[in-house]
Amino acid sequence: MHHLVGRLSALDPEASETLRIVSYFDVLITRGAGLDGLLRGAAVLSGTVAGAEVRGRVSRRDPDGHPVTAAGETRRSPEMSHGDWTVWLERDGEPGPHDAMIVERLALGVELIEGRRRPEGGFEVVIDPARPVAERVTHLARHRLDPATPVRILATAADTAETGAPSAIVPTRYGLLRATLDVFGKLDPPEPVGFGTWVRADRAPESWDAAIIALRLTDESVPAVDATELGAMLLLAQAYDPQHPHEDVRALAGLDARSAEVLRTLVEADSIRSAAVALGMHHSTVQARHEALTHTLGYDPRTNAGRMRYIAAALLQRLTAPAAPAPAGPA
Amino acid sequence: MLKYSRPPFDPEVEAALAALAEQIPAVTPGSIPALRRAPLPVLSDEALLAVGVTRRDVTVRSHQGAELVASVIARSGHTGAGPGIYHIHGGGMIAGERMTGVGQILPWIVEHDAVAVTVEYRLAPEFPDPYPVEDCYAGLVWTAEHAAELGIDPGKLLIAGASAGGGLAAGTALLARDRNGPGLIGQVLMCPMLDDRDRTVSSAQYENAGLWVRESNRTGWDALLGERRGTDRVSVYAAPARATDLTGLPPAFIDCGSAEVFRDEDVAYATALWHSGVQAELHVWPGGFHGFDMVAPESGIARAAIAARNGWVARTLGARLPDTGGRR
Amino acid sequence: MSSSVSRPPFDPELEAVLAVLADRIPPTMTAEMIPGMRQAAPAEVTDEMLKASGLTRRDVAVPGHLGDEITVSVIAREDRQGLGPGIYHTHGGGMVSGDRFSGLAQALPWVVEHDAVLVTVDYRLAPEYPDPYPVEDCYAGLVWTAEHAREIGMDPDRLLIAGQSAGGGLAAGTALMARDRQGPDLIGQVLMYPMLDDRDRTVSSAQFDGVGVWDRGSNVMGWTALLGERRGTDDVSVYAAPARATDLTGLPPAFIDCGSAEVFRDEDVAYATALWHAGVQAELHIWPGGFHGFDLTAPHTALAHAMTAARNAWVARTLGA
Repeated sequence: MHHLVGRLSALDPEASETLRIVSYFDVLITRGAGLDGLLRGAAVLSGTVAGAEVRGRVSRRDPDGHPVTAAGETRRSPEMSHGDWTVWLERDGEPGPHDAMIVERLALGVELIEGRRRPEGGFEVVIDPARPVAERVTHLARHRLDPATPVRILATAADTAETGAPSAIVPTRYGLLRATLDVFGKLDPPEPVGFGTWVRADRAPESWDAAIIALRLTDESVPAVDATELGAMLLLAQAYDPQHPHEDVRALAGLDARSAEVLRTLVEADSIRSAAVALGMHHSTVQARHEALTHTLGYDPRTNAGRMRYIAAALLQRLTAPAAPAPAGPA
Repeated sequence: MLKYSRPPFDPEVEAALAALAEQIPAVTPGSIPALRRAPLPVLSDEALLAVGVTRRDVTVRSHQGAELVASVIARSGHTGAGPGIYHIHGGGMIAGERMTGVGQILPWIVEHDAVAVTVEYRLAPEFPDPYPVEDCYAGLVWTAEHAAELGIDPGKLLIAGASAGGGLAAGTALLARDRNGPGLIGQVLMCPMLDDRDRTVSSAQYENAGLWVRESNRTGWDALLGERRGTDRVSVYAAPARATDLTGLPPAFIDCGSAEVFRDEDVAYATALWHSGVQAELHVWPGGFHGFDMVAPESGIARAAIAARNGWVARTLGARLPDTGGRR
Repeated sequence: MSSSVSRPPFDPELEAVLAVLADRIPPTMTAEMIPGMRQAAPAEVTDEMLKASGLTRRDVAVPGHLGDEITVSVIAREDRQGLGPGIYHTHGGGMVSGDRFSGLAQALPWVVEHDAVLVTVDYRLAPEYPDPYPVEDCYAGLVWTAEHAREIGMDPDRLLIAGQSAGGGLAAGTALMARDRQGPDLIGQVLMYPMLDDRDRTVSSAQFDGVGVWDRGSNVMGWTALLGERRGTDDVSVYAAPARATDLTGLPPAFIDCGSAEVFRDEDVAYATALWHAGVQAELHIWPGGFHGFDLTAPHTALAHAMTAARNAWVARTLGA
């Protein structure tokens, strides 16, 4: 029986397997799949039995997702422990190429689940909009913060190291991220990083929401984005639900890379002719592409309104697309 | 007179039905006292103790200040904060008591170390709508307010009920949504009684076959709603089938038999939930009459029904709350 | 537009699988993708696999629609004894892809468990072979199966029909044909997330437009390949689109399952309801947050286990185990 990642490699060798593993666990954790779901995921991704021992109680799942109760495990390798829990994969002999990453992600998931069991919670309470403000203020007091103190929250990848400032790993709609508290504006965070807006400490959830969006808008050329500098675009981004992409966004996502490039150039260029020069294409070809794109998009991207629509959709597309670079074309 | 052909009863459960039907004829307004005098057997305290579960009674303040009794049922020695089950018993709105049907939730108490609270809401016709659903809502509020002392994690609270209890559970979940609390992570609606309008095909098909026939159903709804039954003056909390906005309700589990009056309204409610973007799991068991899993638990379809229901509870309690990043 | 249509969410474990497989299984399959669909899937059921399960396979040429030759495979346990129950299998693939081995993983356990004989048919595919070729081929294969039942070790009085997705629709259509043509007797029909309705007007179609697996666009494509311009008009038979049947009396007891997060949800619930209204027995399961075909794509998940267990239990009860 082929394990899921192996099957994917056979079908699509270009695919980034580590990214898939990260995505898989991110979704499980964000959507609240629970310990059994995490174990089933670890088992199917690795092709071997995955296990967890939490406060003395052992759960194991095989790659078909069924519980394994037979005594006598094969070797627990690799294994990670923290406090009163341990997670592992069971393998004799050669480790699989992704075993370490799978166990690491499994551990992250268990850490989160266990963290939620603590009745009083950790730093994540401060940025949780679902908690009553009274609870958040109580937590702020533990960090010796007045509710009115200006703070901002930083968003970085989940596997970045802590900076010494209060932080927590939090599941978000973009996967697991690390939230870090910034009071003085002097932190030197790892990149990529999104800086949230400055808010009263008792309104930290708003800053966290902005930080997530800012992080989402970073890329290789701009590895740090400050939500404050997004201006009114932050409002647009906050209003958007990436789970229900707008048709304008879906239209952009449906374009292949070359068409997307043509579109971008058409929007930015002064004229069809200068666009053709920039693209290295004949003027009449670019004309034809412009007409086709207008038809596909449902609007003309070279009108004033069309340009604004395109820019808005492109912004929102960056909030929708997966973290991995988009595939080059239809499957 | 047009006769609807109807899906037959499952052979295994039909035998049990034949034995019982003599004891439970169609319920009329006049026969309500008799129905109340001959209740379904309930689990005794000894039976609970045999599986390591204890029961204690508490007082709950309800609708218009009345005091109601509720039972708290949990594993002996339960500590910490675990899942909670707010249970509402069945009995057609006119009969039953708080321990009726506890056998269905007992596996969840044992398996998941859950704490159950089951309330003795006041019955129609002496206490017509809105007493029953408001009593149930008050009990839910009490449960959430006393969660810590009960050993319940308020973020892991389910509501559950069968038959009239299922309808009241659906109505209470609507109230909880519209009154901004308490929060529920799921609603288990077992062959729920949802629709006073008595106009489904399954109502006609099971006019006089099965355990809860059409006439009994009319009696129950008439007792609850009086002359309002079937009119515009029925709230969605009394008859959840009438609700047009189901958005924001907790994920539901709905089951019923294919051979009972409630089949069509139960399927319709599940459909309405999906149409509102709410999660729901639906099972319709072939040839099951109303309450077949309680009456014939050893039969093939009852065992399958119980397994499916218990599986949903396990998956729901095993899962956690969604993300804390962002507004959603 | 679908961006404002709220829909039930996917099950968490299944959403994780979608996240990983999204670019391999896009929500919308277009007509241009048909060749790719036909090539893509690696063989699901090989002879090695069958042998490992103690099963044998024999291919037989049988007459299909208009007498043209089509192929069926007869699969049974190597150690089969006497006459066993029969399973007539119609594969899925949106009416435009797949072969007689597609999706067989769901049915093979029944062969092993109940010592059954399974006949799986390679009906001709749309668009090259539009309606009525697919369902008529399926019916012809069923007739052959019943006629040769005893020769292949099957008890003709214990014959089920089973199919998933387009195969579920074809199974339902074949069952209707068998009723109307006084054809082979069936003791049950297993309709796994069946594709029953060409009219594209359910709420679940609108909810799963551009999202999930086998979305609205794919579905319209499949039905159009099958029916051409007739799709959505009055000129569609109940055998092609069983959702259009108004008389369901006399059909065999049905098992219907589906996910809550796929296009077929509402038409499958409607078909079960129509069966009950006609006095026909039916068992129905809608699994919360299941996308189309999740039991095949994500068999390791809790929901897939539950779906498979419920289905297998029905088969066991129906075959009298």
